[in-house]
Amino acid sequence: MILEFLQSLSEMQIVGELTVLSLLIGGVIMAGGVIIAKIAKLLFHKYYAPSLPKDTAQNISKLIYFGILIISFLGFTSSQGIDLSGIMVAGGIFAVVIGFATQSVVSNLISGLFLIVEKPAKHGDTIELPDMGISGTLLDIGTFSSKVRRFDGTVTRIPNEKFFTSNIRSLTLSTVRRADATVGISYQSDIDHAILAMKNEIFQTMPFILQIPEPEFRTEELGDSSVNIHVYVWHPRDDWSNAQPILLNTLKRALDKSGIEIPFPQRVIWSGKD
Amino acid sequence: MKIMSNNSEKSFSDFGIYDLDDQIEFILPNTLIKFTRISDNAFSYYRENSEGIVIEKIIPVKSDTTKIELAPIRPLNYPARRTNHIFLQFDKEIYLSENSAASIFVNCPIEIGVFLVHDSNHDSLDWVTCDPLNSRFGLYGSPDTGTLCKYAKVSMATDYNDSEPYVEAVMQIVVENTLSFGQSISKVVFPITDNNLYYQNSKAIVDGLKITMKKRAAVNIADVQTTSLETDWSTSPTWEDKTASTHMEMGLE
Repeated sequence: MILEFLQSLSEMQIVGELTVLSLLIGGVIMAGGVIIAKIAKLLFHKYYAPSLPKDTAQNISKLIYFGILIISFLGFTSSQGIDLSGIMVAGGIFAVVIGFATQSVVSNLISGLFLIVEKPAKHGDTIELPDMGISGTLLDIGTFSSKVRRFDGTVTRIPNEKFFTSNIRSLTLSTVRRADATVGISYQSDIDHAILAMKNEIFQTMPFILQIPEPEFRTEELGDSSVNIHVYVWHPRDDWSNAQPILLNTLKRALDKSGIEIPFPQRVIWSGKD
Repeated sequence: MKIMSNNSEKSFSDFGIYDLDDQIEFILPNTLIKFTRISDNAFSYYRENSEGIVIEKIIPVKSDTTKIELAPIRPLNYPARRTNHIFLQFDKEIYLSENSAASIFVNCPIEIGVFLVHDSNHDSLDWVTCDPLNSRFGLYGSPDTGTLCKYAKVSMATDYNDSEPYVEAVMQIVVENTLSFGQSISKVVFPITDNNLYYQNSKAIVDGLKITMKKRAAVNIADVQTTSLETDWSTSPTWEDKTASTHMEMGLE
């Protein structure tokens, strides 16, 4: 029964020697290829990817997936008796036509390849694109676009061409990063005493602040109401949240403990008779 | 319960292997550790430090032969594991004239590991530091290419017994200057993961270093090698941070 059915399919010609049966076999090969590619990608993600760097795992995963798809496609074409040499000849002309028609798509594709080769940032890096006002974690450099997860949890898709030509500020490339804050103390306060108090408080209560290089204190300005001191501290690159957001709290606590006044803005008015 | 910060009046628990009884308590400087049996096959683990930070865990045990080991470990975990390198800044510089050598002892900071011991396996359960104020980071080199290290200002020791218990281990450093001029050494930076620790009662020692100052092509370098100790003190197990490499699987896609 089944054999008869297949026999009838093989006799139903579509174009030239292409029959419904050969098309069915080609479809099975392609469907099998897609399923195998997905399973291979899944197994890779499950058993090997966790132990590899994220960007390497992402690239190998794509290589496995698209590699199997290409092999399936070649299997499909050979099962249909399609001669690829004709396509090769037409490929040059076809590429020119496609190139003009899809400039931006090709541009994104090429930019994506350059991004993978040059690696200005890799998967998992915290980056900032000042031109676009985007900062967050780089999730993926895809074929045509890249994805950045912003700090508010939303994901922004950026075409690779724009990403490649933008200024990219990497926040995780260096071993350490610097946090800073400015505090003002009253003119009556002793600057050295204030600096010592802040330094001690930083060392005692902020374990992620580096001792080498030491925190730096620069008297920045003799302001209208206060002497402004700018404080610079270094911390491991992944511990920004343990440094910058709590630095000002720590400095204020140090000054409060030492009885050093943080003055409000004030203005001295002299009357004409004086 | 608040732990007393005045450590001088307390007698602390020694390093070593202990039977896991119905209730067992370890007192360390600024730290209290308690194991309490809560059922036939489970214990509760409680740890409190001087800052009032409490850690509690439930530990299912398979057999009655489970033991606890308290041992010194490398000082890499507090406040967070970020590096394998340590930066020891000597309180006094060591000057070596040309073609000379010296052997010194320095106090190297340590942390304390709590291990579950069963069938000769050591499971890393928890770690504590008895001196959190002196457990900080430092950078060797420039911010873009430098090496992040755990940083400690260390003093010289006279011998292997000259250390503050639970806080420091003694390390021997042999320095050799093969250069044709005198040289001072004020710090040493090295990956401490190659160095084993050993303990006896409350004291700890650590594998030594051999520093050779030599000329390589046009550059003067200090070559740092680990030297294994031969001692009858007990060897500490290696603390392994398993949470860092565990992948949580949430099901299939």
